[in-house]
Amino acid sequence: MAWSRKSAMFASLAIALYLLGLVLRNQQLVTVAVVLLSFLTWAAFMSNHADVSSSGRRAEEERKNEGVQLNSIVALRKISSSRIFEDGEIEVTLRLQNKSNLPKIVEVRDRVPEVMRVKKGANYVLMELGPQRETTISYTIETPLRGFYTIGPVCIRIQDAFGLFHNEREVNLYDDFLVFPKMEDIKDALIKSRVPKIFTGAVNIRNPGEGSNFYNLREYIPGDPMKKVNWAATARSGGKMMVNEYERDAVSDIIIIIDSRSVSETGPVSRNSLVYSTRAAASLSQYFLSRRDSVGLVVYSDEIVSVDRDTGKKQLYVLLTKLAGAIAKGNTPLKVVTNRIMPHINRGSPIIILSPLEDDSTIVDAVRDLRARNFDVTVLSPSSLEFEFDAKRLDRTGYEVLKTERDILMSELRGLGAFVMDWEPDMMLNTALAGARGF
Amino acid sequence: MADKVKVDGGGDTSHLYEGKKVRSSAPSRKKAAGRLKSSTEIPKDAIPEIHVPSFIESFFGGPVVSKQKFLPADRMVSSLQIGAASSLLILCFLTLAITPIAGTAWFAISNMIGITSLAGLFHLSLIVIGLIGGIYGVFQRDKRAMLISYVALILVTIRFAGSTVEFRFDFLPDGEIAQKFILILYAVFLVMYIELSSGVIRFSMLDTSIRMNEVYVMGVNKITRRYHTSLAIAPVIAGAVALMTLLINLIIPAIVDIFDGSSDVASERLRESVELTSVYGVALGTAIVFLIIAIMFGVNLPLRIQQMRERNA
Repeated sequence: MAWSRKSAMFASLAIALYLLGLVLRNQQLVTVAVVLLSFLTWAAFMSNHADVSSSGRRAEEERKNEGVQLNSIVALRKISSSRIFEDGEIEVTLRLQNKSNLPKIVEVRDRVPEVMRVKKGANYVLMELGPQRETTISYTIETPLRGFYTIGPVCIRIQDAFGLFHNEREVNLYDDFLVFPKMEDIKDALIKSRVPKIFTGAVNIRNPGEGSNFYNLREYIPGDPMKKVNWAATARSGGKMMVNEYERDAVSDIIIIIDSRSVSETGPVSRNSLVYSTRAAASLSQYFLSRRDSVGLVVYSDEIVSVDRDTGKKQLYVLLTKLAGAIAKGNTPLKVVTNRIMPHINRGSPIIILSPLEDDSTIVDAVRDLRARNFDVTVLSPSSLEFEFDAKRLDRTGYEVLKTERDILMSELRGLGAFVMDWEPDMMLNTALAGARGF
Repeated sequence: MADKVKVDGGGDTSHLYEGKKVRSSAPSRKKAAGRLKSSTEIPKDAIPEIHVPSFIESFFGGPVVSKQKFLPADRMVSSLQIGAASSLLILCFLTLAITPIAGTAWFAISNMIGITSLAGLFHLSLIVIGLIGGIYGVFQRDKRAMLISYVALILVTIRFAGSTVEFRFDFLPDGEIAQKFILILYAVFLVMYIELSSGVIRFSMLDTSIRMNEVYVMGVNKITRRYHTSLAIAPVIAGAVALMTLLINLIIPAIVDIFDGSSDVASERLRESVELTSVYGVALGTAIVFLIIAIMFGVNLPLRIQQMRERNA
């Protein structure tokens, strides 16, 4: 039995008046105290639950005892989807059954994750549940942020009419769901590998080969098939036989590296570097996988989590799940990550690094190493300075100083031949990518 | 200076990017830079508002919110407001009737300074504060005003009473049972006033939550009917228990009389006992009554009653 603040105040007042009445020999005070105590006792009596510990029973039996009222209430939940993207909606239906022969007035609260907002209906219901009756509560929640979430438990509370005492029980009913980062439609990521994989596919890389897209013209070499001869060009060239060359169709490896260190969560909950990075990674993954490239993912925080390169829709879900579960923690340097992954990636593969570029002195070294091995490095850097400045958590002087430092670092990275973009909060991913690639 | 900082850190980068010029910043930052001023003060809205608890809030260990926004009172809240105001009026009348000025601290002080009328004025003003504060608190749904009203109405009863029940007005009955009945009536109205006024806040909060779609209520009428029923039963029960406690000086001799059989000397002695008729008799009564209640809880009677009701329903 739990006491409310009101009942505690009533009890304190009653005891104080009672003692004062005895000291002052004032029957009026004692009478008020006795009426107050009687009122409290009656409310406790009507709350229908005794102090079971006084009966000498063990703690595990307590639930059974208090549940004379609450155990007869059964809850069942159904959610519309267990996988959803950010800014989606989940419909929750909670069925409550009263298996008792007595009607009950209960408060029911279905606990939803803090970041979620109830859009329609209510997850908090006060109701009279008839004997052997069932009722259904429906509500819709919005999912604004990626992550693994759980709905539940269901809290059921019965209290006396005056709100003095209550008895509460948590029904351990949980439903897990996954919120994937939302994806932006990328028209052309402008990232092509110079190194093909063994298996050919439909994607063009910037090397001549047996593809379908025109690449350039060259002189005929003995052994070239006659179907490749460009007769019009031959006629214009004054007798030299010219043949068409085509872009080689091939899939390429794309590696996306996400900085998920503690510093990447600097800024408001819904607007920080990690949120932007995961959304960008999701969009890029979808784009590249739809091109039949194989995409690998590395998320580094206090540990390095990697997803092997693969293609197809299944890979997209694997990547999205990893992105949904990325938590900002630790401070692993980028150099450690690149040292670990470099031996396993084909040279020349595009590497996209999504990082706020903060609090890591190894960034320049890491990018230098990648460039030295001819990797095509693109750095998209969501600026936590802008997030902080927009949220007015950073004063102007601090902003200016940090901004200058950041610009210097980016210039240095550009000097190494990496494509770098300072990604501002209001900028679309397409624009940021175009900016990074210099288009 | 901040307004001289060139945020557009572009520069000619064509030598690095095969003849292409790369901007290091987005156009939006230029716009932001245009708004930059030389002041380095932290914007006012960047400093979070901190609520420093007042003395009353600290004293009660929680916020006593007076500025809580409630939506206009619905029918249930209005009827509770009327009920609370009515019980307050009766309570104030009973307080005025049964609390003499003699024995109070202000009576002693006014006697010391030689202005006896001051005590009466102070006594009356305490009741008026209780009344006006209560009415204001109930209708404006202001917890602080309610709290002041409670304190004033309890403070007015604190006096040295010399173990006997005294009333201010002569027209009130002299009989012991009638006196105690009036005392209980006063106490019941005090408790009911506290309950009803706190009920006004509780149901206002609930009503606001319902209308703001934070809580959904199914079967409102059944829930309010339960509260109204409890409001009718609880004071009767509390009054009956209190009456048993106060009349212990009659109950104990009556019980002794049963066992005493032939002579009623013992019971007669108890009836005439000064201790039993005094406040200590009430204390003894309280101990006995609440001992019985404790035994009821000890044997899990509420639980057993509930189990029985579940089985028989």
